[in-house]
Amino acid sequence: MASTASRSRISLANLSPARGSLHKQKRVGRGQGSNHGGTAGRGHNGQKSRSGAGIKPGFEGGQTPITKLFPKRGFVNQNERVWAPVNLERIQHWINLGRLSCSPEKPITARELLFSGCIHDIHDGIKVLGDGAEFLTSQIYITPSRASKSAIRAIEDRGGQVVCKYYNPLALQDCVKGRTDRITAAPTRRQDIMWYSKFQNRGFLSPDLLKKLGDAPFVEERWKLLSQQLGKWRKQEFDVEKK
Amino acid sequence: MLKSTVPNLQYLKQSTKHGRVHRLRPSLMAKTAPLKRVIPDPPPPSITAASIVRPVYVGLTASLRKPHESAECQLVALDPTVFHHPIRRDILHLCINHYRDSLRQGSANTRTRGEVRGSGRKIRPQKGSGRARLGDAQSPMLRGGGVAFGPKPRDFSTKLPRKVIQMGMRVALSSKVLEQNLGVMKTMDWPNGKTKYLSHKISSLGLKNTLFITGEDEVPTMLQRAIRNIPLVGVTTSREVNIHELLKWPRVMLDAKAVDFFEQSLGKPYASVDDTPVQEAISRL
Repeated sequence: MASTASRSRISLANLSPARGSLHKQKRVGRGQGSNHGGTAGRGHNGQKSRSGAGIKPGFEGGQTPITKLFPKRGFVNQNERVWAPVNLERIQHWINLGRLSCSPEKPITARELLFSGCIHDIHDGIKVLGDGAEFLTSQIYITPSRASKSAIRAIEDRGGQVVCKYYNPLALQDCVKGRTDRITAAPTRRQDIMWYSKFQNRGFLSPDLLKKLGDAPFVEERWKLLSQQLGKWRKQEFDVEKK
Repeated sequence: MLKSTVPNLQYLKQSTKHGRVHRLRPSLMAKTAPLKRVIPDPPPPSITAASIVRPVYVGLTASLRKPHESAECQLVALDPTVFHHPIRRDILHLCINHYRDSLRQGSANTRTRGEVRGSGRKIRPQKGSGRARLGDAQSPMLRGGGVAFGPKPRDFSTKLPRKVIQMGMRVALSSKVLEQNLGVMKTMDWPNGKTKYLSHKISSLGLKNTLFITGEDEVPTMLQRAIRNIPLVGVTTSREVNIHELLKWPRVMLDAKAVDFFEQSLGKPYASVDDTPVQEAISRL
């Protein structure tokens, strides 16, 4: 520490950088003493020594580049979904530690799982898997995007409830951010509607599931309406033979 | 602000070495005697490493309005995490460079060969003239041509981590305290806007070459008017003051509110305050 006796006051005139913190810039083409004069590190003649000598990255001098050697393959499925898996034993562990809690009024959603650190990235939605089902002891109320059959079985054996809900990307963001002013969209694709209408998947559009849940706190009014509207295909008749 | 009123006490210089374990050097004279090292028992383990700080003390300067002769001598206890920070000149250097970079106008401009007025006509034929080959007349090789790689208007400002800037402020304030060039006043009110009286008061208090930093949102109008024409004296608010001003001005005078502002915005958390030196001094009176 500077003592006032030995040095004049710390002012703008006596500041200096930390030793070794600044490094001189390499300046080429500035004379022999700098070791980078003359040809400035480019050697003699040749394409690379010319100004603007930019050879296209990946060019191999005419030889077929490695990026062109192998044929293209396949396509990218735009409808592919990547589910963020979470096993039952992990959820149970989190509950034991007090990092997660759930009740019929406040089921576990993507938001709780993300913020408690159970899941690190939501991807396209959460899928509950049944690894470690023997360790599950508490009643869980959870609304993931998907759930495996063993997970469903294990949760319901303990007295909990799983309802698989459809989340499009916007709905997922709203769930994570805790926004409730927007209405989450209904599924539009036939595959999604079919999937979420099945009781075996515990889909939120399944009439059997809604009947079973009755007036549980986490059931939304809208599900019943959607289940009716999106389930009309069951009663529709096509290609009825004209008698 | 940590405040204590201690009547008739001189300014205390702070010792900064706390909690050092003293070891006796082995005896060099007794070659036959065994080496004796007395190492005291280690302190009992604590559950949390809570920091105990000793405040740094500065004498309270009389306010501008008060009469010059003041019977009591008051001490101001300052937060040592702000006003007794280890001096880091390299941090000050970084902060000053960052500040001065931000001041640069960066408006130097030159015309390149594309911007110089002129046509693209080839000046002389490629071959046959016996002289060097030339294209248009705006090439940087030629007189009247454009500048090659000349300056263009650009932004010279640099980024510095927020915490480095905050440490710089702490170091600057601490350096002022260390040099005994920091004073604290209760208030900086001034009744009228007359420069004459304030100038006389400042000279009599010996506060030339001083920057007055008030903790108010704005400098009071009367003070502003009275002080603005006095040479070698400046005034600013604690929100607007930067590290450049703190280092430029030889002496700094703070408001009580300004001290609170700095302690709140720059202070680091501590568990408890240890003011035993002051209490011992009081008990010795």
